[in-house]
Amino acid sequence: MSNSHLFLKSGFPRAPLQNGLGRYVCQLQRLTLKFCKNNGSSKGMRDFIENHLVDFAKENPGIVVYVKPRRHRTPVLVGEYLNGEREWMSCRNNTQEEITKWIDLLKTQNGNSSSLRLRKMWHTDVPSIQGPWTPFLLRSPDAQNQSYPSEQASKPLDVPQSATEKLLELFKQQQLEGGQELLTKKRAE
Amino acid sequence: MSLFRSATGVLCLTRSINVAGGVQPRRHIKRWVSPTLRELAHRVQKQGPQKPEPRSGFIEWNYRSELFAFGKRLNEEFQLPLLQTAFMQSTYAHQEQERQRKLGIAEADLQRGDNSELIAKGAHIAKAYVEAYLRYALPKVPEIGHREITTYLLSNESLAHVSLHLGTKDLILSTEYPPSEETLAKTLQAIIGALADSNGVERAFLFVRDFICTQLNQKDLLEIWTPEQPMQLLSDVCKQRNLGEPEPRLLADCGKNTVLAAYNVGIYADRKLLGKGFGENVQQATETAAIDALQALFDMHDSRRPFDFRVQLEAQHVRLG
Repeated sequence: MSNSHLFLKSGFPRAPLQNGLGRYVCQLQRLTLKFCKNNGSSKGMRDFIENHLVDFAKENPGIVVYVKPRRHRTPVLVGEYLNGEREWMSCRNNTQEEITKWIDLLKTQNGNSSSLRLRKMWHTDVPSIQGPWTPFLLRSPDAQNQSYPSEQASKPLDVPQSATEKLLELFKQQQLEGGQELLTKKRAE
Repeated sequence: MSLFRSATGVLCLTRSINVAGGVQPRRHIKRWVSPTLRELAHRVQKQGPQKPEPRSGFIEWNYRSELFAFGKRLNEEFQLPLLQTAFMQSTYAHQEQERQRKLGIAEADLQRGDNSELIAKGAHIAKAYVEAYLRYALPKVPEIGHREITTYLLSNESLAHVSLHLGTKDLILSTEYPPSEETLAKTLQAIIGALADSNGVERAFLFVRDFICTQLNQKDLLEIWTPEQPMQLLSDVCKQRNLGEPEPRLLADCGKNTVLAAYNVGIYADRKLLGKGFGENVQQATETAAIDALQALFDMHDSRRPFDFRVQLEAQHVRLG
């Protein structure tokens, strides 16, 4: 995320009104083409209106198309969406192919897509079907009957052997071995 | 500063007279711009926040085309007069009549119906279909649960949400703008009524399924309907289904006699675990566990199969009454 995106509206990719479940509704409801009748910057827009606009309107009866000529102003596309958003797009010096592509973009989105910073590329209303982890989950059966405070459970798991304990152990071993040696000596005598 | 400005002004003036001999346009700082803008901003602030302009007041507005496109967008073939009637609020119709009477137009011409009849019809159809759909999609949920979910789906709030996203806001003929939640909801019902009148009840049923029932998708059903006394309901359900008497048992606890006490209670019936729940005390945990058990028994927990919105319910299952 760069600095220019700091104040951009942020959100998740969502289909409005569960669109696509049941039936699909094109989210572009109105399209206004504004252009000048003799300015060179509107050439592509005029070509589009002459050659493709009627076909476009026939193919998309759900989109109301308004054509608004105005003198010596730059050509503009204004799309209005079902969720109330409005997108303004300058088409200065665009060719008719470019305008066709821009209109296709307006038709397939549900708001100005470049005015929204996506926080994630996905979204879910049910983050975990299993539910959250709790300390009671998958507990060992031993822990069930444990009564606290218990000496066994309060000890750390990795206590190193102290020097005294080691000495004691050595001494016991020696005594055992020593005792056996004494016994064998006495038997030999 | 002002002395400097006037000095430059005089200098420019003398130069223009000296060099060209004729009158030349002078270019200097326009001192009227800033006070004018300040005054305009002051007036805007004094007026306060303005209401949004209705889209129908724009030059590029053709109501007939909008109505036509509205039907086409939803893949429905409406009869346009019926659709227009659906958008006509009774208050607006009365206002128009008054206006025409004042202008002296004959009474016979003004008989344009409002949408009150269509609202009643649409509301009836929507209710019947939503009930039938819930009976199909949530067969194990008891009657009271169905009633609650139906009320949620047909509440003004959720209907207005649907209506707004179908683009009725600009088309509604009403005395207020933007239209209130109630107006939006009523208009959606009127549209369902108009659809039934123009294309038959079957199409209206599909419309209700596609736009109203789909609002249930990914919703937490427990948020819509939580049983009031879950333990009692659970014992009733267990008795009905011969599952044995439900019995709460303490599974685990933590931090007894502290502020952060947590109890984990499981509900067993006939030695089988029905549901588990947590709570700050045993009673609360029992209640949560009972709700969890009910969710499992009614098949409305989070991990249930997604709703099927492609089903075509037969008309005989829909009780139109």
